[in-house]
Amino acid sequence: MDEFYDAATRLNCQAIRDWQATERPIVGYTCSYTPGEIFHSVDILPVRLKGIETEGMEIGDTYYGPFICSFPKCLLQLAGKEKFMFLDGAIITPGCDGMRRLDECWRKAAEDYKGILPDFFYYFDVPHKSENHGMAWYIEELRILIKKIENHFNVKVTDDNLADAIKVYNQGRRMLQEIESLRYRDDVVVSGTDIFAATVAGTVMQREAYNQALRRWLEELKNRTTSLSAGKKRLMLIGSISDEIELFRMLEENNDAIVVGENLCFGIRHEGNEIDEHGDPVEALGRHYLQSSVCPRMYGKYKERLALLKQKLDAARVDGVVMQNIRFCDLHGAENSLFERDLEAMGMPCLKLEREYGPMIDVGRMKLRINAFLERLRV
Amino acid sequence: MRPEIREYHYDWLMGGTLKTAANFPRGTKKETEKTYPYIPYFKNVIKTLVDTGDPGVQTLQLLAAYYENILTAHDKGKKCCATTFCNSPVILYAMDIVPVTLEMLTAIGSLVWKRGMFDYMDYCVETGMPETSCSSQRGSQGALLSGLCEKIDFAICDTPGVCDTNANAFAFLSEYLNLPFFQLNYPSSIGDDRSQKYHVDDYKSMIAFAEAQSGNRLDYDRLAEVLAEVDKQDALIADLEDMLMLKPTPINPIYNMMLYGGRFCFSGHSRYTKLLESMVKTAREKALSGETGLKNGKENLRVFMSYIDHYTVDLNFFNYLEERGIASVGSILSRNFRDNSPYADALAGSTYGIDASSPEAMLDSVAQMNARLPMVRSIRGPYDQKGMWLEESLTFAKMYQADCVIYNGTPGCRNTWGMLKPFARDIEKHGIPCHIMNDDAFDDRVESWEVSRERLDEFFTIRGLL
Repeated sequence: MDEFYDAATRLNCQAIRDWQATERPIVGYTCSYTPGEIFHSVDILPVRLKGIETEGMEIGDTYYGPFICSFPKCLLQLAGKEKFMFLDGAIITPGCDGMRRLDECWRKAAEDYKGILPDFFYYFDVPHKSENHGMAWYIEELRILIKKIENHFNVKVTDDNLADAIKVYNQGRRMLQEIESLRYRDDVVVSGTDIFAATVAGTVMQREAYNQALRRWLEELKNRTTSLSAGKKRLMLIGSISDEIELFRMLEENNDAIVVGENLCFGIRHEGNEIDEHGDPVEALGRHYLQSSVCPRMYGKYKERLALLKQKLDAARVDGVVMQNIRFCDLHGAENSLFERDLEAMGMPCLKLEREYGPMIDVGRMKLRINAFLERLRV
Repeated sequence: MRPEIREYHYDWLMGGTLKTAANFPRGTKKETEKTYPYIPYFKNVIKTLVDTGDPGVQTLQLLAAYYENILTAHDKGKKCCATTFCNSPVILYAMDIVPVTLEMLTAIGSLVWKRGMFDYMDYCVETGMPETSCSSQRGSQGALLSGLCEKIDFAICDTPGVCDTNANAFAFLSEYLNLPFFQLNYPSSIGDDRSQKYHVDDYKSMIAFAEAQSGNRLDYDRLAEVLAEVDKQDALIADLEDMLMLKPTPINPIYNMMLYGGRFCFSGHSRYTKLLESMVKTAREKALSGETGLKNGKENLRVFMSYIDHYTVDLNFFNYLEERGIASVGSILSRNFRDNSPYADALAGSTYGIDASSPEAMLDSVAQMNARLPMVRSIRGPYDQKGMWLEESLTFAKMYQADCVIYNGTPGCRNTWGMLKPFARDIEKHGIPCHIMNDDAFDDRVESWEVSRERLDEFFTIRGLL
C-alpha cells in the first residue's frame, strides 16, 4: 500500500521520480475523458493532475474569477508554484467551464511566471454527447491528438501498440473490478480509504508497475479475513471531482462507517470498465471514454446515471449516500439534488454537502454533519 | 416560497401587466401623465420606453404579444418549448411551436417588477439548483418549477460546450418536470469545415426531436417564409449597426436591448420586422440631422459592453447612460453576424448567409445562423483564439470607436468569470480601458444598483473618460 499512498498523496512521488530518471516524457491531463492508453502506447507517462499540496491561492485567484470552483484554481496555483515542472506536456479538456478555462489561465499565468507552461500544451475538445456525430467528433479528436503527440514527441502510435496498451490497462481494470467486488461482501476486508488511494495511484503510476502492485495487493486482500465492516454503516461517496484521500479517511476514522463505494471521477467508476480489445483501437477508446456518460457534463443522461448508481448501491448494500459538491460546481450540485430526491424516495438516506476542495478547511463542519447523518442511519 | 406568491399565476401576472402596459400609450398625453402616479413601481420602465417614441411603444406591444402567445398556446393546440436566448426561435416558429425563452422571461420580470425575480430565484434553489447557478435562468426557472406558469411540453438548449450553467439549468428543469430534453452541442471552434458539419448534423437531430415532440413536420415552405423575414430583419439590423458607427450615434442605448430582445423573442416573425423598421426610421431621422440618440442631446462617451447589459429594476442602467451622456455601441448580444456585415471581413468564418434555394440549403443556413447567436458563437473556445471573445470585443470596440469596454454579467457565469481577468488585461494591453462590473445583471441583491453606479462613475473618473 505504501507505493499507492505515495503516488496518491504526493505530487513529486517516487513513481514520477523513477520515470523522470529514464528521461522519457510525462504528460499531465485534467479529465477522465482523456485516454491514458494513447500515451502509454508510446512510452509517455500519463499523469492525471491533482490539486493536492496546495498551500495558498494567490495565483489561482489572480487569474480565475471569484466564482470558480477551487479545484482548477488549485491546479493553477500548483502550476504557478512550479509544482508541475516535471511535465513535458499538458492536456486541457472542457470537462466543465472552470476546468476548460485552465487553458487560458495557465497560458496567461505563464506570461508572468516564466517557464511554467509545458512545451506541449493542448486543448482536447470533448463533446457533450456520445451519439452519432458526437462520437464521430470525439474519435476524430482522438486521431488529431495522436497526430499532435506523434509530431511533438517524435513517436509513432500504431494500432498494434495502442491495442497492447488497451490490454495492459484492461488488466488493471479487471483487478480493480475484483477489488470492487470485495466491497459487496457482508464482511468487507478493505477500507474505502485504501481502495481510493489505490485507484488514484493508478492515474500516476506507470501502468505495468501499477498492475504488478495491484496484483500483489489483490492477492493479499483475498487472504484477509478480518472484517472491517462489522457493526459499521456502509457509505457511498459521490459528487464533484476529488483526489482527496483525507475525505475518505474522515468518513471512516470514527469507526462508525466504512466506505463501500464511490462514484467520483478519480474513482473506480471510470476505471472499472474494460475496453473492447478487438477492432479499431481508437474507436474502442472512443466508445469507452465517451459513451460511459458517467459525468453530469453529459447532459440529458441523468436517468442512466441514476440507474448506474442504484446498481452500485444495491451491489454494495449501501446504508447511506454522502453526496458532496465543491462550491461553484453547479453540475454536481444540481445532480446531487436530483439524486437526493430520487434516492430518498427509494428509501436511501442521503447527505448533501457543499464544500471547498483542498486542504480540508471544511473538516470540522463536515464532520459534524457526517456524524449527524450517521446518527440518522443508526436510528 | 411564500404562500402569497403562490396566489398568482406568474405568466398571467406578467402577461396581464404587459398587456395593460402595451395599451397605455394609446391614451392622450394628458391621460398618460395622469396615469403615472397610479403605477409608481412600473412608471420608470414604461416612461423610459414611451419617451423613446414609437420603437419603445412597439417594444411594449412585442413583449405583450410574446406572453400572449405563451398564455394561449395550448388553447390553440400548440406546444410550448422551453429554450434559451442563444437558440434562435426561427425554427420553432417554422414548426408552429411556441418558444418560452427563460432568460427573456427573467429579464422581463427583473425589469418590470419592483421586487425583481428574487422569490422565484430562491424557489429554484429550494428545489435543488445551486444558488451559484446563473440567475438568468434561475428566475423564470423557479417560476416554472413552482407550477405557476403555463405547462412546458419539452426543452431544447444549445449551450453545452459553451456555458455549463445554462445547459445544466435546462437539464435540471427537464429532469425535475419530467420533460423530453434535447441539447444542441457546440464544438470549441467555428468556421472550419468540421465545425460547420457538426452544426448541421446536430441541428438536424434537433429538428427530428422537435418534430417528434410537437407532432408537426417541418414545413419547408413555411421555413422559406420565415427565413425571408429573417433576411429582411438582417438588412434592417445592418442599417442600425451602420448608424451605430456614426459619431454621435443616433442610436439610443436602449435600442440595443430592443434589438436583441426582439430578436430573441420574434426572429423571423413580422412583429420584430415592424419594431426594427420603426427603430431604423427614428434613428435615420436623427442621423440625417446629425443628432445623437441620447435624450440629453450630447454624446460624451461611447462604451462597448463586452458581455450583457444590466436588467434589474426600473431600467436603471439605461437611464444612467442617458444621464451621463454615454452612448452604448452594443454588447455581445447586439450583433447578428450576417455575412454582409461590416465586421465580416475582420472576423472571417464567423458569419452566416441565408440560402433558401433548397431544403438542404435552408437547413444549412438556419443551423449556421443558430451557431452564430450571442455567446455560443464567441465564448465557445479559448477566449484568445481566432474569432473568439477577445478578437470580437477588440474588433467592435475599435470599429465602433468605443472609449472603453465594460463587462457586465452574472456570478453564475462560469464561462466568462473563468477567464475574465486575463481577458480584461488583454483588452487593456490594446490601450482600451476595461471595467469589470461585479453585480448580477438579474439580481440586485448581489450588488445594489447604487453601488454599481458608484463604481462606474469611479471608473470613468479615474480613467479620465468623463
